[in-house]
Amino acid sequence: MSSALTLQEVNTVQDAPARPWLTPSQAWGLILIIPYLVIFLLFVIYPVGYGFWIARHPHTYVELVDDPIFARSAMNTLVFLVVGINIKMAIALFLSGFFIQARTWIKWLSVLFILPWAVPSIPTILSLRFMLNPEWGVINTLIFRLTGEDGPNWLNDPTIALTMAISVHIWKSLPFWTLILIAGRLAIPGDLYEAASVDGATNMQTFKYVTWPSLRTLYLTSTILSMIWTLGDFNSVYLLTGGGPADQTHVLATLGIRYLRLDQVDMSMAAIVCALPFVLPLVYFMMRRLAK
Amino acid sequence: MASVAIRDVRKSFGAAAVIHGVDVTITDGEFVVLVGPSGCGKSTLLRMIAGLENITSGAISIGGRVVNDLPPKERDVAMVFQNYALYPHMTVAANMAFSMKLRGAPKDETEKRVNRAAEILGLLQLLERYPRQLSGGQRQRVAMGRAIVRDPQVFLFDEPLSNLDAKLRVQMRTEIKELHLKLKTTTVYVTHDQIEAMTMADKIVVMHDGLVEQIGAPLELYDRPRNLFVAGFIGSPAMNFLKGVVRANGKLEFERPDGSRLPLAAAPSGSDGRKAIYGVRPEHFVLAESGADAIIQVVEPTGSEIQVVAKLGAEEITAVFRERHQFKPGDKIRLMTDPRLVHLFDESSGQRLIA
Amino acid sequence: MKLSSLRSVTTEAKLLLIGIPLLIWTLLPIYHLFLFSISPKESAFSGKLWPDHPTLHNFAVVFKQEHYYLQHFWQQLWNSLLIAVATGALTLFIATGAAFAISRLKVMGGRMVMNLALFTYFIPAAFLAVPMYRTMGLYGLLNNQWALILAMVTIATPYSIWVLKQASDQLPVELDEAAVIDGASPMQLFRLVYIPLMAPSLVAIGTYALLLAWNEYLYAFLLLSKDTDVTLPVALGNFLAADDSPWELLMTTGLIYALPPAAIYYVFKRYMVSGLTAGAVKN
Repeated sequence: MSSALTLQEVNTVQDAPARPWLTPSQAWGLILIIPYLVIFLLFVIYPVGYGFWIARHPHTYVELVDDPIFARSAMNTLVFLVVGINIKMAIALFLSGFFIQARTWIKWLSVLFILPWAVPSIPTILSLRFMLNPEWGVINTLIFRLTGEDGPNWLNDPTIALTMAISVHIWKSLPFWTLILIAGRLAIPGDLYEAASVDGATNMQTFKYVTWPSLRTLYLTSTILSMIWTLGDFNSVYLLTGGGPADQTHVLATLGIRYLRLDQVDMSMAAIVCALPFVLPLVYFMMRRLAK
Repeated sequence: MASVAIRDVRKSFGAAAVIHGVDVTITDGEFVVLVGPSGCGKSTLLRMIAGLENITSGAISIGGRVVNDLPPKERDVAMVFQNYALYPHMTVAANMAFSMKLRGAPKDETEKRVNRAAEILGLLQLLERYPRQLSGGQRQRVAMGRAIVRDPQVFLFDEPLSNLDAKLRVQMRTEIKELHLKLKTTTVYVTHDQIEAMTMADKIVVMHDGLVEQIGAPLELYDRPRNLFVAGFIGSPAMNFLKGVVRANGKLEFERPDGSRLPLAAAPSGSDGRKAIYGVRPEHFVLAESGADAIIQVVEPTGSEIQVVAKLGAEEITAVFRERHQFKPGDKIRLMTDPRLVHLFDESSGQRLIA
Repeated sequence: MKLSSLRSVTTEAKLLLIGIPLLIWTLLPIYHLFLFSISPKESAFSGKLWPDHPTLHNFAVVFKQEHYYLQHFWQQLWNSLLIAVATGALTLFIATGAAFAISRLKVMGGRMVMNLALFTYFIPAAFLAVPMYRTMGLYGLLNNQWALILAMVTIATPYSIWVLKQASDQLPVELDEAAVIDGASPMQLFRLVYIPLMAPSLVAIGTYALLLAWNEYLYAFLLLSKDTDVTLPVALGNFLAADDSPWELLMTTGLIYALPPAAIYYVFKRYMVSGLTAGAVKN
């Protein structure tokens, strides 16, 4: 009987041959993940390690703190983050409510609204740079024609220039965050709004008691993520003002390049290291939300 | 076609042991059903036969070969999944032909097999459709077709009918049984539905908490359940369990807490005073003047029979009658049992007491 | 009746009050770009909203490379295209394999790699720029287009792996099990089951990586220097150096450069929006 054979076989096979060291599945798993690990090792770990190594001398940090440009850049970055992002997210929140209104022309508008984000920065920011040129830019030319007065010194006054850089940043990234918040709004079940309207809620009350509680977490996460990305926004400042006038509009992202130009690579790295205590907590927060 | 032998198989997920030593012998061509409540380990056991789960200890053999370390590919088994697992991006024909394609089989051979399977299952018209265009029953047939094309030694079914509506389930049950009669392939079928087990199996394996409670032909399990669990699991409506004590001095009887007595035909020697459970299937109650008093609580006519929930003394029982009695809730009736048809179980161990 | 129509009129008015300024704000720089491209040099700065004599002459000049700053226009456009496509392809290759290994093959340490990738994604790319520049120098890759391609792949891959893994997790495990029982090897599973089912996500990621490289400025100008090697954004940036730059040609070139991403975005809008915002909205 086949069963008897089996038993016999089983009794002699108690110590089955050892499992192959790696099953094909495990082997392929490793093979497929190695390219990424190689890239990571060569182009993330090594440069980061190298960066830290360059920035290892304490005197670099002393020099950095003594440099008024660094202080100014840190200030600019702070303004960018605190003012810029909050204004941007508030506008995004407001517009998300606007864009979910059911009108055909609003739908068309939303299609056009995405353009600043979809189109590359270089042409558009340069376009803005020329528009804002105090002497021959289109804006000031128009202002002169309409009022006979000279328009503001858009790019040569440090405060105005920084404001313009922030505006450029908002112009570019607003569509993306508005989209995110629109998606968040659409995820709120319609029943809640119907219940609120039956209960007699005004628009403000509906927002406060229905919309905002559902959007709150998304808004916070988006703000944090936006802060991280804004810290890395090189283009908005560099292409608009080049960091000028007289290095007064530099932010952390462009500072690195400035020091590189001055052949002070160690300062460049040190500046970034200084930013890490601010960046890493934000990154940790995002990881907590999204990592598994 | 082949036999399957499961010898002292155990399975742990990390520190948690889920199967504690299972022995099952499946002969060539048999249709064996693994049945039990959720979490009893039946799906895990099936997956171990398939090779989708590792065997912690023990051995599984297919066709005389120990397959513990063989990947599924080399075990020559085919599996039909609960959720069908059809490849959404392939047509029905491509789904069924997939295994042949993976092996690099010649096209005409593949076509022949696919057509044969499609013919058996009535899928010839659907070969060029995609899974999303099919109904649940059709998808299940394609999943079976995929298994048939493989022409394996063993078919494995993992609760294939759970996602179908009741009527379709009854129809598919018969179809699967007919398929088995035709192809005669060894089949291991997992379900939590004891009716499926009873109607389809050559042999039923009742599992509970990682252990085998009883193995046997359907009617064997029905007529002579080995313990309380099997007795209560097999059969619907479930067997009635009455608490009490065996009385063996002079007349052999079962004494209930309220003093009333029910007849017994046999009991192990020295049972007098032993605490036991008296098991009666609902259809084994008869109306008799000499019977015990019962008050009807609920009447459930199903058309072919009448189910009655009644209070027999302090305990509630279910009785089933074929005749159309005019019962009403609150009616007083007298119920009697046939001592040759009752079951007796030890109260503490749950084991069957009558041979 | 009158009251409700009055209310709807005020609502419309309020909406328009938001909509019209928004439209102007959104389109202004882009329109400016367009305006300069079709204006002849002399009247470009006149401040008119539409040129008196619209012309395609600027485009002709650009296409015929008839200016000092434009002499390598086609070469640079080609460089941009090459680098973008290479980045897209390489990212897709690496990220798809990694996502498959982590999600389906359950490779050892997969979760750690996933978290590592996520972490990298959150660090701003600009922070890595200068160290990357130095490192490429050490590897001897400066002024080699591969430097830019590899840098872009490094930046694009983490997010790609994450998105692909999320999408992979949606595929039922039973499909893999059925394929394995049917006799599929890991590679057959990858080729015949996984990739066809992941097609929409693959398109989204390929496009994402491609556009990332196409739109890149900082890394491009750090890692490449020769005029014939650089991408078009870098060339555009070089325009800024001189005082007498032909601004209208700059705008024209910029417009040409901006068209492909806009077109791609609108074509793939469905995939892009759902694919890229899904991660952020999921709570």
